[in-house]
Amino acid sequence: MSQEKIDILQRTLERERAARRAAEKILEDKSRELYELSEELKVTNAKLKASVSEKTSQLAGVFENIIDAYLVMDLSGNVLTMNDAACALFGFDVSKESLNVNHLIHPEDAAYTRASFKELIKKGTFSNYTARVYTKTKEIRWIQINASLIYDANQKPIAAQGIIRDITSQKVFDDKLIESENRLATLILNLDSAILLEDEDRKIVLTNAKFCEIFKIPVAPEMMIGQDCSNAAEQSKSLFKEPDIFIETLNEILKEKKQVIGKELVMNDGTILELDFVPIIEGNRYKGHLWTYRDITLKRQYRRSLETQKEKYSSIIANMNLGLVEVDSDDKILMVNQSFCEMSGYSEEELIGKIGGKMFPIAKDEHIITEENKKRMAGESNSYEIHVTNKKGEPRNWLISGAPNYNIQGEIIGSIGIHLDITELKTLEKQKEKILKELEKSNNELYEYAHIVSHDLKSPLRSIDALISWIKSDNEGTFDEETLQNFNMIEATLETMEKLISNILEYSSAGSETKEAESIDLNTTMDDVKRLLFVPDHITINLLKKLPIVKGDPTKFQQLFQNLMSNAIKFCNKEQGIVEIDYVEKPSFYQFSVRDNGIGIEKKYHERIFKIFHSLHKNKESTGIGLSIVKKIVDLYGGTIWLKSELGEGTTFFFTIKK
Amino acid sequence: MKNALKVLLIEDNLIEIMKMNRTVSLLKAKHTITEAKNAEEALAILETKDNLPDIILLDLNMPKINGIEFLSILKSNPDLRHIPTIILTTSDNRKDILECYRIGISGYILKPLKYEEYVSKIDITLSYWSINELKSA
Repeated sequence: MSQEKIDILQRTLERERAARRAAEKILEDKSRELYELSEELKVTNAKLKASVSEKTSQLAGVFENIIDAYLVMDLSGNVLTMNDAACALFGFDVSKESLNVNHLIHPEDAAYTRASFKELIKKGTFSNYTARVYTKTKEIRWIQINASLIYDANQKPIAAQGIIRDITSQKVFDDKLIESENRLATLILNLDSAILLEDEDRKIVLTNAKFCEIFKIPVAPEMMIGQDCSNAAEQSKSLFKEPDIFIETLNEILKEKKQVIGKELVMNDGTILELDFVPIIEGNRYKGHLWTYRDITLKRQYRRSLETQKEKYSSIIANMNLGLVEVDSDDKILMVNQSFCEMSGYSEEELIGKIGGKMFPIAKDEHIITEENKKRMAGESNSYEIHVTNKKGEPRNWLISGAPNYNIQGEIIGSIGIHLDITELKTLEKQKEKILKELEKSNNELYEYAHIVSHDLKSPLRSIDALISWIKSDNEGTFDEETLQNFNMIEATLETMEKLISNILEYSSAGSETKEAESIDLNTTMDDVKRLLFVPDHITINLLKKLPIVKGDPTKFQQLFQNLMSNAIKFCNKEQGIVEIDYVEKPSFYQFSVRDNGIGIEKKYHERIFKIFHSLHKNKESTGIGLSIVKKIVDLYGGTIWLKSELGEGTTFFFTIKK
Repeated sequence: MKNALKVLLIEDNLIEIMKMNRTVSLLKAKHTITEAKNAEEALAILETKDNLPDIILLDLNMPKINGIEFLSILKSNPDLRHIPTIILTTSDNRKDILECYRIGISGYILKPLKYEEYVSKIDITLSYWSINELKSA
């Protein structure tokens, strides 16, 4: 290698060495500079840290003293610090345990939380973040957070802080409010009245199913919201009986914008609607209005039928032949009908407001009204008679049927009396009483008369008998056989005559009740009859069963049985005669029978035998009065008599006696 | 021993009076019959007060004052009310019978049709009263 080359290389090396030395020197300087700077920085940093910590502690003081929960976390969600309120809210204490907020978030709110966090990082704050969190005891709470980022000196976010409000109870309240709003909405939607709420521009805010139904709108009520109603009336008018009046009415209402209640509209199909219009005014601003349509067809029909009924009864009340008076609890007349006016002679105007009990009764009957009114107040109903005077001063008899009058609450508010003028009836009753008394008197007189007549008729017979007897005894032995026979015939005729007179007397008194009815044991009667009658040995009297007890005159019942049984005995032609007495009990009467096995009676005489003096067998025993007495007595006791007979076989007499 | 009775017969019928007299004589009784044709006559007889009858036989059916009225007058008189009074009548009117017993009688005899029966009834009646102890005796 050439020197020159070496020299060049050496010189180059020399230059390089010099350059390295220079560089090293620079490096050394720079390094020292750097150290100094670093030292300086350390001091500054220390200062800064101190200042930050100072600030932080200042802030901590502030936040610790605020009421709401406050929390600082790093950006991974680890809680750095929280105040007492936050500790109380979440149940954690970060000074004792670590806590990451991510673990607290309700799973359903996780996505929303992530989004909110992103927003926080991007904008530096968020407000009104609302979500559910778990507390340490796994309780769910609604919270609302307003948060901001914390930055370091280099504006780099290092942490986040937030104020947390527990809104659980508010949330519950809000939910309830929403629920109640929903219920209200459902209610309106399903309301039986048609609802249409329009805003100030006549756009539909709310309507319901009933509205769509009434106006025959074939869409769901929700679909109607927002629609313009300016032309709605025009579209619906054909549904109404008088379309022009409908339009006119609505226009009028809209023009006035005043509350309207109960406007009536009649539809083509007969439906009657009642329209309410309520303007909605907020402050002084017109915000819209509410239309309400109610279908009152049924109500109207009820009312009409009620009115018809009322009219019907009013007409009955007005036209009935009975006087009707309504009084209040002070006996003041509230209402009278036409008949009562006619009865009393007063006009309605003269009667209304008067005291009924003072106006009509005669003085001694005034207490009756007072007593009757007491009964009404006690809720009693009854009828009573009263003497009154009408307007003309004529005495009248009224029959009053009174009943308490009640109001809707069921309280007694007076009474209603139905009046019947029974003056004529009373007069008739009095006349009847008088006639009855006269009849009784004349019956008694007749009875007495019959007795006197019979006495007067019998006396001569007795005298004749005595005289004949004396003639016979005074001339004993002088008269021939024929004369004596004639005398005997005179005596027999006298006997017949006497019996006839007795029977007529019996008959004349048989038909009238001369005594008070008493209880008669017919078995005793039968014993008496058997004693009185002459019963021959060949005749047996059988009582088939024990006879009942009846009411009446014992003598008449005795006559009744005596006559029938004596006939049965008299007309017996058999070797063994039988007389059977029996009876059957019917609901309202007794049916007796007297059967014999005697000679029998021909059918053609069945009617005649009951007539007086129609004896079938003329002899001194038969006067022809016996069966007519029987018939008269049966008639007297409301019964009937008939017979069944077979000629030669026997006869059964049946008769009934009313119980 | 049988008492001979003083009998006051109040009877308006002549034949009835004859019947009584004939009966008494037929019975051979010693009774004295005083006759009164009506109540007034009877009262006149009774008013004298001396010689009052032992018994009275009274017919009910008489003109003016009838038997029952006479009975009432008799029974309301303290001096006369003791005299046994027997009704002798045709009337079987129950009302009359009850009324007579109410006022006060000593018997009620119905006049029979047959004279023989009459005699028997009168015999029994007079015999009965003749064995009685009477006030005047």
